[in-house]
Amino acid sequence: MSDAFKAADKIRISDTPEEREFELRAHIGAIWSGGRLFIGMYTFLLASLVFSYFYLRSSNNGILWRPNHVTAPTAYGWTIYTLTLLAASMAIFGQARLRRGNVSEWQAAIWVGVVAALFALFMQIWEFTAVPFYPGSSGYASTFIGYSVMNILTIFIVAYWLETTVARSHWLVKEFRGVEIQFSKHPSAQSFRANVASMTYFMGFVALSSTLLFAMFYLL
Amino acid sequence: MTTSVEAGVEAPKPPAFIDIKPRRGQNGWLSQHVGTAALGGFLGYILGHWLGNFIGSSYPYIANSGQNSLAVLLALLFMVVGWLLGIGALNHPIAKILGREAKGEVEYTGWTRYFRYNLDHKVVGIQYVVGVLIFFFTGGLLAMAIRTELLNPTVHVFSADTYIKIVSEHGTIMMMMASSVVVGPLGNYFVPLMIGSRRMAFPRIEAFSLWTFIAGYFVIFSALAYGGFPTGWTGYAPLQTQAGPGMVSYLFGFAVISVGMMTAGFNLAVTIINYRAPGMTWSRVPVFVWSIIATAALLTLASPVLTAAGLFGLLDKTAQTSFYVTEHGGSSYLWQNLFWFFGHPEVYIMALPGFGIVGEIIPVFTRKPLFAYRIAAAGMIGVALLSFFVWQHHLFQSGIDPDMRPLFMLTTELISIPTGFIFLVGMGTLYRAKIRYEVPMLFCMAVYFNFLIGGISGVFLSDVPVNVTVHGGFFVLSHFHYTIMGGLIFAFFGGLYFWLPKMTGRTMNKKLGLWHFWTMFGFFNLTFFPMFIIGLLGQPRRVFSYARNLQTLNEFSSIAAFFLGASFLIFVANLMWSQFIAPEKAPANPWDSLGLEWQTATPIPHYNFERIPVIMTDPYHYSEVGAPALADFGNGPPVHASSAVAAAIEPEQ
Repeated sequence: MSDAFKAADKIRISDTPEEREFELRAHIGAIWSGGRLFIGMYTFLLASLVFSYFYLRSSNNGILWRPNHVTAPTAYGWTIYTLTLLAASMAIFGQARLRRGNVSEWQAAIWVGVVAALFALFMQIWEFTAVPFYPGSSGYASTFIGYSVMNILTIFIVAYWLETTVARSHWLVKEFRGVEIQFSKHPSAQSFRANVASMTYFMGFVALSSTLLFAMFYLL
Repeated sequence: MTTSVEAGVEAPKPPAFIDIKPRRGQNGWLSQHVGTAALGGFLGYILGHWLGNFIGSSYPYIANSGQNSLAVLLALLFMVVGWLLGIGALNHPIAKILGREAKGEVEYTGWTRYFRYNLDHKVVGIQYVVGVLIFFFTGGLLAMAIRTELLNPTVHVFSADTYIKIVSEHGTIMMMMASSVVVGPLGNYFVPLMIGSRRMAFPRIEAFSLWTFIAGYFVIFSALAYGGFPTGWTGYAPLQTQAGPGMVSYLFGFAVISVGMMTAGFNLAVTIINYRAPGMTWSRVPVFVWSIIATAALLTLASPVLTAAGLFGLLDKTAQTSFYVTEHGGSSYLWQNLFWFFGHPEVYIMALPGFGIVGEIIPVFTRKPLFAYRIAAAGMIGVALLSFFVWQHHLFQSGIDPDMRPLFMLTTELISIPTGFIFLVGMGTLYRAKIRYEVPMLFCMAVYFNFLIGGISGVFLSDVPVNVTVHGGFFVLSHFHYTIMGGLIFAFFGGLYFWLPKMTGRTMNKKLGLWHFWTMFGFFNLTFFPMFIIGLLGQPRRVFSYARNLQTLNEFSSIAAFFLGASFLIFVANLMWSQFIAPEKAPANPWDSLGLEWQTATPIPHYNFERIPVIMTDPYHYSEVGAPALADFGNGPPVHASSAVAAAIEPEQ
């Protein structure tokens, strides 16, 4: 038996309802602020790409920023962008349904989002086979490859967060035996709802950042 | 319907995040531990290497060059993934795909818990201590090699090529270590205790940061096996682009470490924001916690830029992009911008926690309240904010419009104002104090001495004319060793001597501690102060040969460096002696500190406090008659500052 256990047993650590309430509030707060901080962190990651894009664009070293105005395949771009937007929108739409008490509609929306995100992920990887330029042929080509890799990560996070949340909801529905998780005050249900709120907030961020990056790489 | 779970038939069990009954873990060697992690890493490495060769064989430029950076990258990537799988870091993320909720914390018993993916922040803190010390001693051995080479300008131990690779590896390992040296061990261990919390916000993310940090060590060390890298720790292009596969280890190593830094900072920031005990308002948060939240903000926001910079470099090396290749539409200055946008906040990632430790220790040994506590906190936040606006001073000689220089000279000089606040807070606390010169306090005094030299030389360096004159020389090298080693590392050792009795329940030997301090302090100054002169006389960094007239100073510096290296052996001897060979039980509160971390039992129970304390004041009311009670621990009358103060001043009367 460890020292820590001996000590813990000796002073009999237990908790009171107030302490549980405190821990729950802290946990919900952690999900809330963690979600926002994660967006901050991700913003800096994407900002590095945006900075690189404009830095190389304005430097235009060797007049090789974008020879002949080559563009990545726009059909792929539109498809990936639309699917990502669909996944994000489903999360936002789904949360509105959840708030009105409709868990099954939320679940259906999220599953649609998961499928859209997985399809977007597949398309983003597949696009590498259709890129009409060599990765090192220009500044644009390089930043586009960097963008593609980062977008794979973004879409993966979207798919993972959506899937794990909806999968968790199925377990919760089962554990709660028909009780509506969207209204329950049970800690697990509150934690779940906080996670949904954070996820939806992140999806809003993804929708915005995807729009910006899509415009930079496919429209400008 | 809505409340039937609460009123309900059978509510589900309380979830892990509010449960305080840890499950007992199986100690069997069949469960996941560092051995399975090593196995996973090894298998991952083999698989990745094979895959990289398989892919690379179909590309003529790889086959013709004889260097397959893709194979190296995939080997290292799969090694890290295998390592994390083997240790169990990915168990929960995989289980979540099936909708499983996190299981409660597992309490492993005995010494084997330190070799596992443990969710107890105290175990993680001690694992970090060992991790950073391994980093430190590896980097230190390389430093000895550097000083050996510099004993003589013409008789060489290493070739020029080997020398620069040793310098590069030394710098990179030390910078990686220094970014986590306080946040990892002491931040993870003491932040929850200091804010009256029973747990971290995200214990899995905390443990993930540790095991990623360790994986980063192996990745960066693997560079030596791949022939090293010749760029120094700054990895500048175009040398980066031209370097061999060792560069992949550098780029990927930094990316891995930056993920560890991000996750560590993320968890600490969220914990401090949300898990402060009732009554622990922002004006009562210990100054060490202020330093950690300022650092956590920098870690969380600056590290992603390093990750992106590393990713672009890796794409250049493997996918043949040209981010940093000027001839193909990229720019070598892009790397400098991205690297230093992280790199300068990194300097404060290293400096701030050191100041936090010192701010925490000196009131204990002066028996005075921390002077201008709020100024100290404001200074730390000010430094953190300003640190994002100074990175261009690293480009004064390259890649910057000359008209922009004065602006960044100004911002760099501005940052010395909040830094000065923090320094003056220390001076104000020391003013007219009856100081107890215990070992931790001596280290704190040394921090002020060293940082004064490092800081003032830094103000000089922020001025463009001086910067242009001494750029790339030993003057700069001496400056940053004075700030980082003289500030942070001295503070770290001060913190270790101060808190180890709480962490391990055993007292460090005072006599050996004094020997360690005086030798380290003396030989540190004897090693690095001559380097200011060497630098002013024109010796450049990273070059293994130098002018004959600088030999005496270099010899002096090298011999002092060997003794400096030996001084750390005294620490190791002390650690071994005090913790394992002749352990002596430490008193519950050997320094009579008012800090919350000292008010709980030793050894600290799994969930830290019997009751979540209610905080009534800040922990700096030393020597104040009639000071308010510190906290209500729920198991007796509130702990009162005056009782601790009386106990502390009694021996002097």
